[in-house]
Amino acid sequence: MRVGPRTFILGAAVGFVSTAALIWRGPGAEAAAPIPDLSGHWARPYIGFEPPLSGPGPIVNRSRVQGQSNINQFVGDYSSPILRPQAAEIVKKHGELELKGLVAPNPSNQCLPMSPPYILQRQEIQLLQQKNQITILYAEDQQVRRVRLNAKHPARVIPSWYGDSVGRFEGDTLVIDTIGIKVGPYSMVDSYGTPHSEALHLVERYRLIDYFDAEAAAKMSERENRRLLADNSLGNGVAIDADYRGKALQVRFTVEDENVFTVPWSATSTYWHASGDWVERVCAENTVEYYAGLSSAVPRAEKPDF
Amino acid sequence: MALRVPAITIISLIALVGPATPAPSGDRAAPMDMSGAWSRLTFGFEPPARGPGPIGRYSNQPNAGGNFNNPNLKPDAAAIVKARSEMLRRGEDYPNPSLNCYPMASPYIFRVQEMAVIQKKDEVIFLFMQDHQVRRVKLNAQHPAKVTPSWNGDSIGHYEGDTLVVDTVGYKLGPFPLADQFGSPFSDALHVVERYRMVDYEVAKALQERNVRNQGAVATEQAAFVDENYKGKGLQIEFTVEDPNVFNTPWSASVTWRRAGGWVENVCAENTNEYYNNGSTKVPQADKPDF
Repeated sequence: MRVGPRTFILGAAVGFVSTAALIWRGPGAEAAAPIPDLSGHWARPYIGFEPPLSGPGPIVNRSRVQGQSNINQFVGDYSSPILRPQAAEIVKKHGELELKGLVAPNPSNQCLPMSPPYILQRQEIQLLQQKNQITILYAEDQQVRRVRLNAKHPARVIPSWYGDSVGRFEGDTLVIDTIGIKVGPYSMVDSYGTPHSEALHLVERYRLIDYFDAEAAAKMSERENRRLLADNSLGNGVAIDADYRGKALQVRFTVEDENVFTVPWSATSTYWHASGDWVERVCAENTVEYYAGLSSAVPRAEKPDF
Repeated sequence: MALRVPAITIISLIALVGPATPAPSGDRAAPMDMSGAWSRLTFGFEPPARGPGPIGRYSNQPNAGGNFNNPNLKPDAAAIVKARSEMLRRGEDYPNPSLNCYPMASPYIFRVQEMAVIQKKDEVIFLFMQDHQVRRVKLNAQHPAKVTPSWNGDSIGHYEGDTLVVDTVGYKLGPFPLADQFGSPFSDALHVVERYRMVDYEVAKALQERNVRNQGAVATEQAAFVDENYKGKGLQIEFTVEDPNVFNTPWSASVTWRRAGGWVENVCAENTNEYYNNGSTKVPQADKPDF
């Protein structure tokens, strides 16, 4: 092809501009990629984590109903090789209580904060995205997590129920790193009583996925988890916009705690576009009233906190 | 040597590099920016410049309770305030949302020392430090024709110049409805209008100092962290409370906040402060899991 003077000048100009752009963008060019908007109201129809595509996954329920986890009886597989012996013993005792027909204490039935990753099993979240902060609201008992963007953990972290969370965007993915999660009276990472220590380290990776990828994730999840319905006997108010064919929000996370687990393990939670207004769900109120005529024992102090 | 680049090349460069990172939806502009965390050092409300205010205390004695003789109280409400005041004077406490880990309706919730504001295009969200409570205000919306009562009520808001106006109805009564720290109850007719605006640093500081003098400061371990180095504006909420079943006339008050210097978790069921005479805290216990 013969290159004319005008084409050459145009090509040279484009080349110059492109080169200049590369120089101008410099080594931080990747950071200038558009930040995805993950904000919104999201819901998932499961209790429990979705297993990972590969590698070690979470503890699973030994109690099954039609091949799926029995969400009325949490008996963790204490023989899992990811558990250290002391942790396995705790999971075993938790399951033994459940097998006796009792309910083992957990953050949900004790109205205590659900530390991550336990909270990633829950059904409704709202993600608020600001320039320097991500705020994640959870419908259950108005729980709130805060993530400082592009920040570092303090040199000395004061343990707290939700830990110290810092985040950053890597391309289309929000990466959240959490340490400093308080070890409270019923600290656990899942519904099976799997404990955690002060060494717990959680990395969450949130990104938007296509509707069909979300459906594939649902099929994967249902190998383990029973799908809840908004009008089923659990009546927990989960509402997913069934007509919505847009993106879903998926978090893949890795849990590391050398005092509890022999290896890091991973799992996934996928959230769909939620419908309807946000529903207040107050633990002390216990609106669901599963208590066979018993009134809920709500916390009672003899003197005010303040 | 300085590199001279023609303007058109700059435009081309910008086009190639792409637009600036889009602002996430949580950062959309509002007529006034009141976002961030705010703190106050006292529990009580500030009296209005004019007109009826809150019923106030029965006396200046500690644990005196509310002034049940206040003429603004309807007789039934006065009897409730009197019973609650008598309990306090006996050294007991009456059930209330703070003791029982229930959500606090506005304006009672303004007793909490820290509040964070997140302004979105269609919604303003308020986070409160005590027991991680959340309020949502739908902007430029209407109350539904039939409001389903809820702990925080149905809140709608709009901006009037430099002021965010929030209108709330549909509060759920619950076992211990409480409108203020003086023991005033409320009914399902409660209607609260809140007006948020920024006030000068000097105004906010002076009001907080006056409140501390008049009401006493809370202990710092209760998470009242004011950033004393911050010299920017404060946030003030003037609110009006209307409930014809409880009060003879609407009354008003205000609360003033300064920039918070930190944020702590304060979990009711955990009850970290342990004021309970060595009694163990009774946390909720369910016979079966909720889910």
